[in-house]
Amino acid sequence: MPSARGQVSPRSVSAPTDSAAPWPPVSARRLTLWPCDSGSSALPADFFFLRIQLRLSVAKGNTCMMNKGENTSIASTMWLTIGAGGSPVGLAEWSQPCDGGGPLAVGHCHPLVVQAAHEQNQVLNTNSRYLHDNIVDYAQRLSETLPEKLCVFYFLNSGSEANDLALRLARQYTGHQDVVVLDHAYHGHLSSLIDISPYKFRYLDGQKEWVHVAPLPDTYRGPYREDHPNPAMAYANEVKRVVSNAQEKGRKIAAFFVESLPSVGGQIIPPAGYFSHVAEHIHRAGGVFVADEIQVGFGRVGKHFWAFQLQGEDFVPDIVTMGKSIGNGHPVACVATTQAVSRAFEATGIEYFNTFGGSPVSCAVGLAVLDVLEKEQLQTHATCVGSFLMELLRQQKAKHPIIGDVRGVGLFIGVDLVKDEATRMPATQEADYVVTRLKENYILLSADGPGRNILKFKPPMCFSLDNAQHVVTKLDAILTDMEEKVRSCETLRLQPSSVKHPPGKCTGEERSRCTNCNPGEKGIPDIRGQMAWGLAPPLSYRTRRPEDFPERP
Amino acid sequence: MCELYSKQDTLALRGKHIGPSCEIFFAADPIKIVRAQRQYMFDEKGEQYLDCINNVAHVGHCHPEVFKAALKQMELLNTNSRFLHDNIVEYAKRLSATLPEKLSVCYFTNSGSEANDLALRLARQFRDHQDVITLDHAYHGHLSSLIEISPYKFRKGKDVKKEFVHVAPTPDTYRGKYREDHSDPASAYADEVRKIIEEAHNNGRKIAAFIAESMQSCGGQIIPPAGYFQRVAEYVHRAGGVFIADEVQVGFGRVGKHFWSFQMHGEDFVPDIVTMGKPMGNGHPMACVVTTKEIAEAFNSAGVEYFNTYGGNPVSCAVGLAVLDIIENEDLQGNATRVGNYLIELLNKQKAKHTLIGDVRMKEKRVLLSVDGPHRNVLKIKPPMCFTEENAKVMVDQLDGILTAVEEAMQAETQSVISENTPCRTKMHKDAHVELLSDSTNDPTENPSRKRNGMCTNKHSLLSKRLKT
Repeated sequence: MPSARGQVSPRSVSAPTDSAAPWPPVSARRLTLWPCDSGSSALPADFFFLRIQLRLSVAKGNTCMMNKGENTSIASTMWLTIGAGGSPVGLAEWSQPCDGGGPLAVGHCHPLVVQAAHEQNQVLNTNSRYLHDNIVDYAQRLSETLPEKLCVFYFLNSGSEANDLALRLARQYTGHQDVVVLDHAYHGHLSSLIDISPYKFRYLDGQKEWVHVAPLPDTYRGPYREDHPNPAMAYANEVKRVVSNAQEKGRKIAAFFVESLPSVGGQIIPPAGYFSHVAEHIHRAGGVFVADEIQVGFGRVGKHFWAFQLQGEDFVPDIVTMGKSIGNGHPVACVATTQAVSRAFEATGIEYFNTFGGSPVSCAVGLAVLDVLEKEQLQTHATCVGSFLMELLRQQKAKHPIIGDVRGVGLFIGVDLVKDEATRMPATQEADYVVTRLKENYILLSADGPGRNILKFKPPMCFSLDNAQHVVTKLDAILTDMEEKVRSCETLRLQPSSVKHPPGKCTGEERSRCTNCNPGEKGIPDIRGQMAWGLAPPLSYRTRRPEDFPERP
Repeated sequence: MCELYSKQDTLALRGKHIGPSCEIFFAADPIKIVRAQRQYMFDEKGEQYLDCINNVAHVGHCHPEVFKAALKQMELLNTNSRFLHDNIVEYAKRLSATLPEKLSVCYFTNSGSEANDLALRLARQFRDHQDVITLDHAYHGHLSSLIEISPYKFRKGKDVKKEFVHVAPTPDTYRGKYREDHSDPASAYADEVRKIIEEAHNNGRKIAAFIAESMQSCGGQIIPPAGYFQRVAEYVHRAGGVFIADEVQVGFGRVGKHFWSFQMHGEDFVPDIVTMGKPMGNGHPMACVVTTKEIAEAFNSAGVEYFNTYGGNPVSCAVGLAVLDIIENEDLQGNATRVGNYLIELLNKQKAKHTLIGDVRMKEKRVLLSVDGPHRNVLKIKPPMCFTEENAKVMVDQLDGILTAVEEAMQAETQSVISENTPCRTKMHKDAHVELLSDSTNDPTENPSRKRNGMCTNKHSLLSKRLKT
């Protein structure tokens, strides 16, 4: 299919000679349209543009290409605004990303975000050393999403800049230098952050003496697993041990830095209570707790706006850093902290100035993203689609032994591929193969974790139920194919489809291992055997449509 | 223009929610700017200010070609650089075409600070050396790694100079160690760098880089003497280090004659790494590091995967390309030369008349200027590149009027002791006021009407005025 491209004819503008005359007006035809069902976050804007053009040019009574149901990928609601454009030439190919959602809260090229940026770009885009409403409005709106004590903001351009500032704030406030981080953490690409990112420094300059590494609270692969009575306390005690060791050497802790949900470390969900226990140890040592929400903030986890809030209402970090999804792709980031920390920073006498941070355009974009998140109820949507996706993936786990674990919350999900169920050895090459095969099916996913074996789902928040179904169907087909043809590891050699008996009828040694006959995890019916025998019922959760979920305005 | 909040409420909210150390212009009486076009800014009452500060709005505030390019791309695609895309390669190609041939590999970032940090990483990875030579009063950015190499910052705070940082004297031929009456200030200052390298080697240290703003801005609009960079580069290369030219403030044709400020030093001088930012996107957050294939390959073979979430995204590159087009199509470099020369001519006429600085008065006259330099006494003029001759005339006329009025006031008070507690008839910027009156480092025998530098072909050349005591 040929791709559609809207062509905007450039206008050459020469500077007017009259010093007070405004720039010549720019024509940007805006069509703010009816709410219509359109789907994938990754449909290029010119695709929408094309469709709207066709709809407008089609006479009444002809097929409306935007009708619900015409395209099975179309399932959720989006507002569209289109800029000035040229002639449509055909339909565009598109793909569904499940990854690359890092910088995208609300979907690629969301028209309200684009509109906000464009409108502000035409009026003023300068630095924050002048008073402006956007920056204070944005700060106020952000403060409403956070616990009350986190009410002071610094605006920057990237998560890395934010984490670097957080480090500076922590050190100034505490007067200490050392930092405690988690193993496999990644906090950014700046020199100071490579130093506190074991994910990076283990392959580069090594660990600095002022950096202390605690074990990742991974209840699937870490030292304390799902069968431990209190993994939160156990992992927190590891931090306590690390802090004590440092103090014995005369070192003083400035901060504990942690991604609220470690992402490159393998889509880890720290056990509830872990952060509170750790904060206690860190505060006692005179340090502060820095929650890095760069990957996971802005409603991604569904239940809450910020991922650290999963740890309980009584837990409040001292510094929060945010980025990536904050501007839907526009370079924005932010540090939120307490009055006390900010005053200590001020007391150094050094002025902080970030050339582009907090500019009217960046703040307008940030505000637009908050508006869209609210109006389109994307947080609720993340819970809904995330739960659905988790269920589908758990079914796959029951079916395919290579899936060792499925973990996640909202639209932050990890699928842990293992070579061996018992040892949980990472299936690195297999994960890479799956990702490549998915790409061939026009699905973008990535693998990460120390063993590069965890399929990372963190799509744009408008990811739909149909998108979820589609991805899992493809994943299923690929894994099935791998079990038949690739068979590169133990978990790919166990083939449920080769089971020679009907469900519930296995005998002898096979019985204990037979997942055909044993119930699935956590009460989800194991359907592999039924599927193998062609008896798979049309389970309601496999065929859910938007009508089954509460209406969104 | 409809405001969300009244100016007072804006200020109150800022006090409540924005970090208190975040810089604000005219802290005693800040300005609320709601709109800007070309070289003009407008406050909430619609008052127009002539902007002589904002080099970031390089081609003029809210230039339509820039925001059109941004809009077009924002509607199409704005994602990260891990996918192939034409904009990033096209932009890299266009940028490298403005630079000497060996500078051909680009890394895109979001801010000058990120660019300088990456430059340091590149330099250190190249031969595994650690130490950095920087100039006194230099400012390279707000990140931890850059505060360490920015005496402009670390001398102010509680931070002490790190042992891997070596500070060389600023090659200031007006106020520095070797002045315009020295026979060869370039060699003399370069020799200071050579001595630093020697001392570092004696202590078993290895130099990774010499970093310098091609023209020091916060340090007081310093233009290094011709030949300085070449000699320094020679010493640094001999020590196994690289030369980093920080063009974050001064690149993209601001100097008029050349696209990059380092090019003023001659065709035989080519830095190893160049960083650029600020004017690059006319206000859009973007920056870049350009280096040689050799340095890039060394970085790569160290096993470093560099990924910057927003750096090099299609929208930023589209904006960057639009800015390059405008600089060319509107002959902004030519304008910089013409208007810059005219401005210098006007200022020269003023220097014989006046000996005072008055920056806040300029604010009241709706002309925005800032002061900087170690003594906060240098008027920094670095407006958008569409600044006209008429603007220059207006600015200088206002300056003339203010200086005349202040001098008259000063003459009326020559017998009184001027102290910080004396109420001023006019609102003065606090810092400038303090500096002016307590500046005991003034040399009363020095000619107050001295022109700042010989190389006045650009808007950065300024006059330093002294208070007659």
